[in-house]
Formats: sequence, C-alpha cells, structure tokens
Amino acid sequence: MKKILITLLVWANLFGAGQVGDKAVGFDLPNLYNLDKKISLNEYKGKVVLVNLWASWCGGCQEEMPIFVELQKEFKGSDFHILLSTIDKEPKNAVAFLQSVDRERVLKSVYDSEKILPKAYRCIGMPSSYLVDKSGTIVEVYVGSIDEKHVGKLKAKIKSLLGE
Amino acid sequence: MVKYILIGSLLFLTACSDKLVRVMPYEKEYFAQDKMSLSPIAERAEQEGHVYLIREASAGGESAFQGGCGCR
Repeated sequence: MKKILITLLVWANLFGAGQVGDKAVGFDLPNLYNLDKKISLNEYKGKVVLVNLWASWCGGCQEEMPIFVELQKEFKGSDFHILLSTIDKEPKNAVAFLQSVDRERVLKSVYDSEKILPKAYRCIGMPSSYLVDKSGTIVEVYVGSIDEKHVGKLKAKIKSLLGE
Repeated sequence: MVKYILIGSLLFLTACSDKLVRVMPYEKEYFAQDKMSLSPIAERAEQEGHVYLIREASAGGESAFQGGCGCR
C-alpha cells in the first residue's frame, strides 16, 4: 500500500501545476522575428526575466501585450527583460499581432512551434507568465493576463529582485 | 493480487480518459477561431433570438422573468 501511495505522489508531482521555487526550464528556440537565429534563456543568466507564454489567438494575451511594452520601456537599460514565447501555429500571425502593438520591437519573442515550453512549465492557462530571478529560480507565476491593477505589484517585485 | 490489478487498471483507465477529454489551454488555437463560436454572426444571432422569443413566449421565453403566460 505504501508503494502505491508513493507512486501516486510521484505522478501527482510530475503532472501538477505550481512551480514557484523551481529552476526555470532552459530553452533554445528560434527568434520570432528571425527564425534562423535562436534565443536561449542562458543569454539572460544573472538577469531578472519575465517569461511569458502567449498566442495571437488568445484574448488575454492581446490585452496584456501593450502593458508589457510599456513595462519593458520603463525598465530599459536595466537587468530586467521580458521574453515572450509564442505557440501560434503560423508564426506570421504572431508577428503581425506583435508588430501592431510593439512597433519599436521592444519585446523579444521566441517561436515555440512544438509547444515545448507550455509542457515544460506545466502551463494551466493562457497567458501564463513566470518571473525568474537572477539565480534562475521562478519566484512568481501569473496565470491569466496581467492588467493595470496588478502591474504595480509586478513592478515592485521586479525592483526588489533587481535590488533597487 | 486481483485487488491490486483492479486498482491499477482503474487508475490507468482514469488517466486515459483524462488525457482524451482534457484539451490543454495551449491547444485551443482552433477553438479560439471565430468560426468555432456558437453564434459567429452577431446579426443572425440577434434575429434568431427574436424568433425564439416569439415562438417560445408561451413557455416563458428565454429568461426566468415572469411566468410564461404568453402576455408579453
């Protein structure tokens, strides 16, 4: 009976959500704007990163994207970066949407055609954002879109992680 | 032994059904398309609603308001 319980616990842990405290899963995926080049999470080692899983067909993702553009502009020159990862079937749809809200290309996005990241991060809702600290540990998980009400708390958290 | 096999089989089948039914949020690209909406054309939905109300008025229409006497 003990063995059965242990097996069940292990399986529940494997498929469960909630990853605060876990190490962020590394990736090396094509740049959405230039599919021949790749962007790796390792490039952001020692920096605070907000990994955001999004898609152009997702309403919540469309709502929060202008907020991310403003957020990245606000932290320009700092060690905070927003790294998007789109799971669109057609990358051109993602590019078209992103360009409509981010003409200056402030945000960087990878193209995850195989939906590797949602599976690795055990995504339970779209959009999902994962705030990763300088040591590469997930410190906050945001399921659903980040709106104007919550962005204040997010900014405070980013500043504390940056040591400002 | 039979008991364990039964429990194991049940767990296995439950896991299978979950996998078959559950569509993960990141797999809903096609569901998000306009054509997948129950009423993709707003004008048509409004007209259908109007017809429905007229036809079903005696049964109380589509709301819980009033008793369905047909005297709207």
